[in-house]
Amino acid sequence: MSDLYHHIRSSQGIEEYQLKSNDLKVLMLKDQSTPVATFMVTYHVGSRNEAIGYTGSTHLLEHLMFKGSRNYNKEKGTAIWDELQSIGAQINATTWNDRTNYFEVVPSEHLEKAISIEADRMRYSFIKDEDRQPEMTVVRNEYERGENSPFDVLDKNVWATAYQAHPYHHSTIGWRSDIENVSTERLKEFYDVYYWPNNATATVIGDFDKEKTLNLIAKYFGEHKKSEHKIPTVYTEEPLQEGPRRVVVKRSGQAGIVAVAHKTPEGLHSDTHAIHLLGKILCDGKSSRLHRKIIDKGLATSLFMYDFPFKDNGLFITYAFLTPDTEQQVVEDIILNEYDSIKTDGVTQKELDRAIAQTKATVAFSRDGSYAVASALNEAIAIGDWQFYTSYLDKIKSVKTDDIKKIATTYLFEDASTTGWFIPKN
Amino acid sequence: MSFSEKVFIDKSLKGLTTFVIPTQIKDVVTISGSLKGGEYHAKSYNSKIASLSGSMLDKGTLNKTKHEISETLESLGADISFVVSNHHINFTAHCLSKDLETVITLLSDLLQNPSYKDEELSVLKKRLIGNLKRSKEDTKKQASINFLSELYPENHPNARYSIDDTIKMVENVSSEDIKQFHQQAYGLGSFNVVAAGDVDPDKFNKLIIGELSNMQDQGINLKIDTPAPKESLQNEVRFNIIDKTSCDMFIGQTVNINEDHSEYYSLMMGIYILGGNFSARLMQTVRDKQGLTYGIGSGLAGCSYGVNGHWYTWGTFSPELLNEGFKATSDQIKSWYDNGVKAEELSSKKTTFTGSFQVGLDTTSGLVDRVLTNAEKGRELDFLDNYNELINDLDIKKINEAIKKYIKPENLTKSVAGSID
Repeated sequence: MSDLYHHIRSSQGIEEYQLKSNDLKVLMLKDQSTPVATFMVTYHVGSRNEAIGYTGSTHLLEHLMFKGSRNYNKEKGTAIWDELQSIGAQINATTWNDRTNYFEVVPSEHLEKAISIEADRMRYSFIKDEDRQPEMTVVRNEYERGENSPFDVLDKNVWATAYQAHPYHHSTIGWRSDIENVSTERLKEFYDVYYWPNNATATVIGDFDKEKTLNLIAKYFGEHKKSEHKIPTVYTEEPLQEGPRRVVVKRSGQAGIVAVAHKTPEGLHSDTHAIHLLGKILCDGKSSRLHRKIIDKGLATSLFMYDFPFKDNGLFITYAFLTPDTEQQVVEDIILNEYDSIKTDGVTQKELDRAIAQTKATVAFSRDGSYAVASALNEAIAIGDWQFYTSYLDKIKSVKTDDIKKIATTYLFEDASTTGWFIPKN
Repeated sequence: MSFSEKVFIDKSLKGLTTFVIPTQIKDVVTISGSLKGGEYHAKSYNSKIASLSGSMLDKGTLNKTKHEISETLESLGADISFVVSNHHINFTAHCLSKDLETVITLLSDLLQNPSYKDEELSVLKKRLIGNLKRSKEDTKKQASINFLSELYPENHPNARYSIDDTIKMVENVSSEDIKQFHQQAYGLGSFNVVAAGDVDPDKFNKLIIGELSNMQDQGINLKIDTPAPKESLQNEVRFNIIDKTSCDMFIGQTVNINEDHSEYYSLMMGIYILGGNFSARLMQTVRDKQGLTYGIGSGLAGCSYGVNGHWYTWGTFSPELLNEGFKATSDQIKSWYDNGVKAEELSSKKTTFTGSFQVGLDTTSGLVDRVLTNAEKGRELDFLDNYNELINDLDIKKINEAIKKYIKPENLTKSVAGSID
């Protein structure tokens, strides 16, 4: 192995290294099924690192990171999109609560180009005011498109009601007035605080030569020093919720929506796996409890729940999209009654086995293609430990029926709830 | 080794072709398949009969209740889904390799023995109508329906019905209608199945052929009649939906060409240079330089199965920037039409296509989609082997001639939906 790196640990074929010169972490998984590789850089900065006045900055900055850097820019005829799309790469970036990631899925022979581009924009992005101005209206249209959707609007309101102090209060896209008014200087400051090798993980999955790739990463990223400042951490904690909360959104529309949310612990908490299985028993698939009681009765057109593990606390939310004549209260009562039933009577072994089988298949398919693996690792990196991905299935398999009953009782109680209704106005 | 050499093809059962692509992924298999006979083929009486025939397949068979079906699948972590498109009845399944036999047996039962019970149809119709009513507030859907209604007469394969008309059609479907359609359309003849992943070709073929060998031949008329599209005129349709912060806009016209035409790929590439991806002209100018939209693109659609389709440009704009966005888009279209595309743009997009082809093979879904689409279009597998050559042979002169020949910028239809009044 290259002496430029420390080998940190390995798990399920994934190897972790750290570049000695600047602490950049590197994850690698070789898979030569097809001549394709995914290169992804995950930064530990997301909308959780924002505050009033610059909500949405992480995302707006992500957009500006495509506008040009020292070696990759329009003036040189090497614009990032042109360079990568001309080789057929799938390329994009995403921002969420706890992280920002940039990725390229490339024919293997072009892996060096992806590495070179990501290294260049890690410290040499232009972030010019003349670029921010047109990009602000682009992002504003992205925000406007989201606002077209009653679900998006209700979801933002549920999070904003459930979280008051913690920055999960605001959505990743931010508030409109912040998108419009944040200054380029503030974005540049944000970049200079967080975009450093010692706050990032580079992931390489697919068809590549290990030694050669490690050397390329060292060649391109190794020119950056680690930050001279300590990367700031978020110290704001959400105060204890001491009573149920409700939020109602009224807007032109055709049918109602119900959301029932409860606070969950941080993603790396040992209860996370049981919470995931509880969600599957309640809502995943046509044989799930709420599907039988709501969809099969024609009370809703669709139903889903999400419980994404985040770095800090999260939400366990069930959404029901109602059929036109269904009243919100009817479906809300059914959801809460089912929660109560699990708290009282627990779940059957058969239900748990089914939820575990569904998760096993999901994990197996999460290895289908280099991007799928990189994407799953990206979310694990974001919550603080990439081995969350490799240890996930073993922990899922160890959950017992009593654990499900216990976590339902622990988390699904009224005083920790936030209920949202979308009421269509004609 | 060429791509086609990695695919195991079997045609031993008349009317069924299987394609099996073993890959190095462990433990999982993706299966997709289709047979001709979509909404278009039920159009003369009620096209929603076709789509409901597919949506009802997992609601119970003569052998299993809907809960037995879902419990069987979910206890394995597997899934089977059905979608009926304009031309095909499609299905997709994902499962662990060890469960392949159970999933194929169940898939076969769903396809061949649906119970089509009245009470299940009633619940499904209620949900479907709920979804349709919700889609009335969808700016993209409304703009698209109005755009296509301006381009095509009602009996054209590419025509779309209004949401209110679609709701009426759903209301009128009976279980008897569906049973009759099922009897005619679900059979051997145009049946293609593709499997990719950790799968043994011999074992897969033995399973699927054994299960489907008792199917009757399709009795449905699969002929596609293509009446002339409406005359292209410069016109505009505006659809107001209140409380929307972003509008959807379509601009375009019908084109007298389909995928089988020798000039199709020249025109397709010319349009791709205008708006096929982020580095194409529309995104580089209207979005990246002028900041007027989050997304804008251009392409050809509805050109498969011998049907001549249309060229469209689609974008989203805030109501305040709609006029400016339309002007900026029109300026780009005019410049593209007047001056043609450049050799360096063509060179760049050729490598985009060839690289994308390679990247698209990275997943089992990417593999099955590519092979199934190719088969549905009646092409031999070597079309995929020769695809890069087809793209690399495209010539700048012919592309610019195709743009001039097929595009009529003076006769564009524009459709906008959103809070515009």
